Amino acid sequence: MMHQTIKRDGVETIGNPHLSLEGINKKYGLVEVISNLNLEVRKGELIALLGPSGCGKTTTLRMIAGLIAPSAGKIAVGGRDVTHIAPHGRDMGLVFQSYALFPHMTVAKNVAFGLEMRGLSRADIANKVAKALSMVQLEHLAERKPRELSGGQQQRVALARALVIEPSILLLDEPLSNLDAKLRDEMRTQIRDIQQQLGITTVFVTHDQVEALSMCDRIVVMKGGLIEQVGTPHEIYERPATPFVASFVGRTNRVKGKRTADGCIRIGSSMIRSATPAGQDDVVVMVRPHRIHIDWNATSTEQDETANRTAAVLSRITFIGDVIQYHFDVDGSEFIVEESTKKSQSSHRHGDKAVLSWSVEDTLVFGADQ
Amino acid sequence: MEDNPTSWFMRITVTILFLFLLAPVLLVFPISFSGDQILAFPPSSWSLRWYEALLGNNVMMSAFLTSLGLASVVTVLSLIIAIPASYAIVRLKVTGSEFLFNLFTAPLLLPTIVLGLAILIIFASMGLLATFTGLVIGHLVITLPYALRVLSVSLGNLSLACEEAASSLGAKPLAVFGKVTLPMMAPGIVAATALCFLVSFDEVVITLFLTGPRMTTLPVELFHHVESQADPLVASVSVLLILMTLAVVMIVDRTMGLTKAMASGRAVSMSTVADAT
Ligand SMILES: Nc1ncnc2c1ncn2[C@@H]1O[C@H](COP(=O)(O)OP(=O)(O)OP(=O)(O)O)[C@@H](O)[C@H]1O
Ligand SMILES: [Mg+2]
Repeated sequence: MMHQTIKRDGVETIGNPHLSLEGINKKYGLVEVISNLNLEVRKGELIALLGPSGCGKTTTLRMIAGLIAPSAGKIAVGGRDVTHIAPHGRDMGLVFQSYALFPHMTVAKNVAFGLEMRGLSRADIANKVAKALSMVQLEHLAERKPRELSGGQQQRVALARALVIEPSILLLDEPLSNLDAKLRDEMRTQIRDIQQQLGITTVFVTHDQVEALSMCDRIVVMKGGLIEQVGTPHEIYERPATPFVASFVGRTNRVKGKRTADGCIRIGSSMIRSATPAGQDDVVVMVRPHRIHIDWNATSTEQDETANRTAAVLSRITFIGDVIQYHFDVDGSEFIVEESTKKSQSSHRHGDKAVLSWSVEDTLVFGADQ
Repeated sequence: MEDNPTSWFMRITVTILFLFLLAPVLLVFPISFSGDQILAFPPSSWSLRWYEALLGNNVMMSAFLTSLGLASVVTVLSLIIAIPASYAIVRLKVTGSEFLFNLFTAPLLLPTIVLGLAILIIFASMGLLATFTGLVIGHLVITLPYALRVLSVSLGNLSLACEEAASSLGAKPLAVFGKVTLPMMAPGIVAATALCFLVSFDEVVITLFLTGPRMTTLPVELFHHVESQADPLVASVSVLLILMTLAVVMIVDRTMGLTKAMASGRAVSMSTVADAT
């Protein structure tokens, strides 16, 4: 089970981290919502906390910001222990999930707040505020009050307010959740650009895997207060450490199998191979739907060193615009295969026979108890 | 909606209710313009003589000024005490603050007359009777519970997030309080100011025990006057009281909308609000 040993508990040391969390634990009463969290973030890195609702992303972010104290563990920034430093002494910019704009101040005043606290001159403040507002395309709303803005506009003000202070660490709690698809794309690029330009170490909370994959240098996948895996988008996608990661990031087929004496895996009557030797008898096999090739004419299911082949019967077709999903039955297990659609789609029907093939490398195998 | 019969029914009911509640108060206005020697309705002649009598009545006028000064001082002191207190109770959750909150608000539950008697006994031995200081302290006992309740509710309804945002933007605790918490509490503060002022301005029961010939308030003087004489002077004094109350209500309404202010003080029972206004 090589995959599991990679970074199962998130312990991965990198040289000279800018932000580090060591053995962080958070309990509310008797309930442990974060357990032994270890994480190191490089200077200027954009790291995503990705996970389902309630897995502890916001809690982790709030501990980094100093708004709540961990029950145990240590938080350090640039080697300095900040575990017991108040939020105002941490020089972090935080964008709240609920925006938390000051209702009694105009948009411009909101954005200026952090600069005023830092004692900048009026001219400097006006200058920076104008720049920050134009960055989020809100310069025309500078004199409005937050309640006179739409949700998406408020979210952008919150972003400008956190960015304008050029913090040493930027903490974003689902900062794009309320924007429409087009604006979200724009803001993603914007955040990424600004973050790169200023080299701000950024922790980005999201439950949107596309956001995490497309924007971030590394992704931390969390589940139930634990880190499942830390890795680059490529690693997370191609070499998920757990079945949870495999199914949470990207789509995947999941079928049960049995390991045989010669190291192959039996799925129904088919035998397949994987590059990862799983140590158990009962295993779960996962293959990404678009990594499977359909051969409608072949009859041979002869295996070779690099590819798995299995005979399948088409049971259902789902058309979803960009892609078409073929649902196949393989000895009682369902395999979904995705192909991008073409204008002249060849017509296949329920009951058609085909041979599915996919590379051994794309075959992810996990112990069945995970 | 306009043509809906139930909405018409509601309107008529509400109008009748209002008339029922307000008629006695409204009656005071015509009576205050009476030309008669005795209190009667309807007056047989009209004049401004009872307003002249009021202006010429040194005791009444000085009682009015005392009431005005007293209510102002009591209101300011109530806020100065209750704002930090409510912060300590709601935000800092200082140990024992729950107990202090209950202690401070207990006077609301006690029979006012017992409270007045207790204060009389204590103040008598301290020589505070019929002094401005004595009145201020006496009134604080009843205005503080209102101020504390209204402000605690108003603060409790504020989401912590704005204060957290401010501190993460670099504001020290005092700056967070001054620049974010306090302005956001404004509706509660306006409501508390109005309530304290009105409660103090027309307080009678406790004040009765604390006043004397040397120092008295307008409602108490009015009370004494009714006891000895039955002339329409009481009507003109009542008009003065009503106008003061209205002025406060209008100021609150202008600054933030009455319903909003009162809603932020909804922990205070409706009867006390009605009482105060
Ligand atoms: N003050 C609290 N008291 C008790 N439990 C809490 C408290 N705050 C959060 N929790 C619990 O901690 C867990 C993690 O919450 P958190 O807000 O960090 O989730 P999240 O990953 O940000 O979820 P979402 O994506 O929905 O925002 C949840 O199960 C939540 O119920
Ligand atoms: Mg959250």
